[in-house]
Amino acid sequence: MSAFHFDGLVWHWPIAIYLFLAGLSAGAVFFAIMLKHFKLAERAYLSPFVQAAAIIAPIAVCAGLGILVIDLTKPLAFWKILVFYNTSSVMSMGVLVLLVYQLVLFAWIGSVFSLPVIKWLDGRFHLLAKCLTLLARHEDVITGVLVILSLSLGAYTGFLLSALIGFPLLNNPVLPLLFLISGLSSGAAATLLGGVLMRGNPNGTEVKFIHRIEIPMILVEIMLLFTFFAGLILSGGQSQVAALNAIGEGFWGWIFWGGVVGVGLTLPLAFNLWMKVSSERKLTYVAVTASFSLLGVLLLRNFILYTGQMTGV
Amino acid sequence: MDTSKRRFLKGCGGVIAGVSVYSMTPQPLASNAVGDSEIKYAMLHDENLCIGCNACEDACREVNQVPVGVSRVNIIRTGPYGEYPEQSYRFSRHSCQHCEAAPCVKVCPTGAAYIDKDTGIVAVNEDRCVGCQYCIAACPYQIRFINPLTKVADKCDFCQQSQLTQGLQPACVLACPTEALVFGNLKDPNSALVKALKSKPTYRQKIDLGTRPKLFHVRTVDGEIVL
Ligand code: SF4
Ligand code: SF4
Ligand code: SF4
Repeated sequence: MSAFHFDGLVWHWPIAIYLFLAGLSAGAVFFAIMLKHFKLAERAYLSPFVQAAAIIAPIAVCAGLGILVIDLTKPLAFWKILVFYNTSSVMSMGVLVLLVYQLVLFAWIGSVFSLPVIKWLDGRFHLLAKCLTLLARHEDVITGVLVILSLSLGAYTGFLLSALIGFPLLNNPVLPLLFLISGLSSGAAATLLGGVLMRGNPNGTEVKFIHRIEIPMILVEIMLLFTFFAGLILSGGQSQVAALNAIGEGFWGWIFWGGVVGVGLTLPLAFNLWMKVSSERKLTYVAVTASFSLLGVLLLRNFILYTGQMTGV
Repeated sequence: MDTSKRRFLKGCGGVIAGVSVYSMTPQPLASNAVGDSEIKYAMLHDENLCIGCNACEDACREVNQVPVGVSRVNIIRTGPYGEYPEQSYRFSRHSCQHCEAAPCVKVCPTGAAYIDKDTGIVAVNEDRCVGCQYCIAACPYQIRFINPLTKVADKCDFCQQSQLTQGLQPACVLACPTEALVFGNLKDPNSALVKALKSKPTYRQKIDLGTRPKLFHVRTVDGEIVL
């Protein structure tokens, strides 16, 4: 049995990337909203970090949806998912959330950046300017809806897999929570990375704000991972077999301990704790920490997807 | 700030209200509650009568035009058990179980995987299937596949499209030389199927998942007891 090809494997890595990108988009938006609400207020559009999130979030979610469509055996029939819905299907409901999320996301970006865009339009395109003013006036409502949608999207990536009752490692109530939290932290990392690359101040309020949330989030993630596997092992039977297969010896065991736990969680946590003492943050420091957590989350998605399908009931 | 907070909450409330109204709307096609029709088809495979000749597999392939490389029904052989010349094998049928609470139907985003309300047969509406493979991953019996020619999800449908429309029994049942396969209506107390089910001890696979499968098996006397 090889790591990427085995009996019973149905969904391959494109699905993991899709789940990764959807969660990342939701997380980036979530943190951009938090930044604006708690720190930046009206000056949010000036922040390279909010700008980065506003670029990353739509691209990630569109790319994710694109990958999902290409991965169908009949990509041209994709519209049927939109026309025929099935309320008991997580995928059907998830695609619905994804579409509404995209709409509201663009509305939110429009409202946040209405000021500079209207200034830049300078009287041209009257209708567009009017729309933006309208959006800006309703920004609070849009923001509220977007927060809920982004959290739903983050959780959906987990529910999609946990609906597969034939696999004990996937059919697990902790999974949606784990994917939600790790999706949020990947969004935070993407925002930080994009922000500093767009010449944001690596020692600014935004970075300090996000880093302060990051430590508890990593701790929660570690706790969820522990609960996830401890729960499986204590359940006995095939659940235990599935868990030990996944995190025991072998390719995926290495990915889990070295990639997910080591690079993705422990190193960023260590960096963050160490940084509390010494204060000055450098670009490389922020970029490297963010890249580590991004890599960790991407590996986690693949790890869960593949090892999850390895052991059936 | 205060009005903005109120409107923020209004937005949240709007979404929640919308979702709760939406979830009350009736769902099309996909439903795992089968109506009270007079017919509910099921099948029995008697592992003691089966000789592993594979005639059922071949007949299915021919009648339903199943391409090579995939199959709707497999007879899985385990063994040999015992010492030569007293050796024996165990044969078990691997095909769609036509679950009453079918996971494949539940997860299908388009309703392409559905339960035929009149017969209880779990089938695929080829026109609706987009090939997301969610049903294949969701089926705990791992018997669904993508048909390489049509590119849609495929599986045993008790010959719903081929034999049943002509009033015939499924191809595998007709092909079996030992009458190891019995097909019939669970709601008809006089059917050969119900009589067989009542006279022989049978088992169904993975019933603890709550799928309520309609493929019954008579356990063979061959093979070892597995704990
Ligand atoms: S056996 Fe699989 S394909 Fe057949 S009804 Fe049950 S879940 Fe669906
Ligand atoms: S592959 Fe086809 S039948 Fe299966 S879940 Fe997707 S759309 Fe439905
Ligand atoms: S045709 Fe009958 S005897 Fe032959 S393999 Fe199939 S079920 Fe068994």
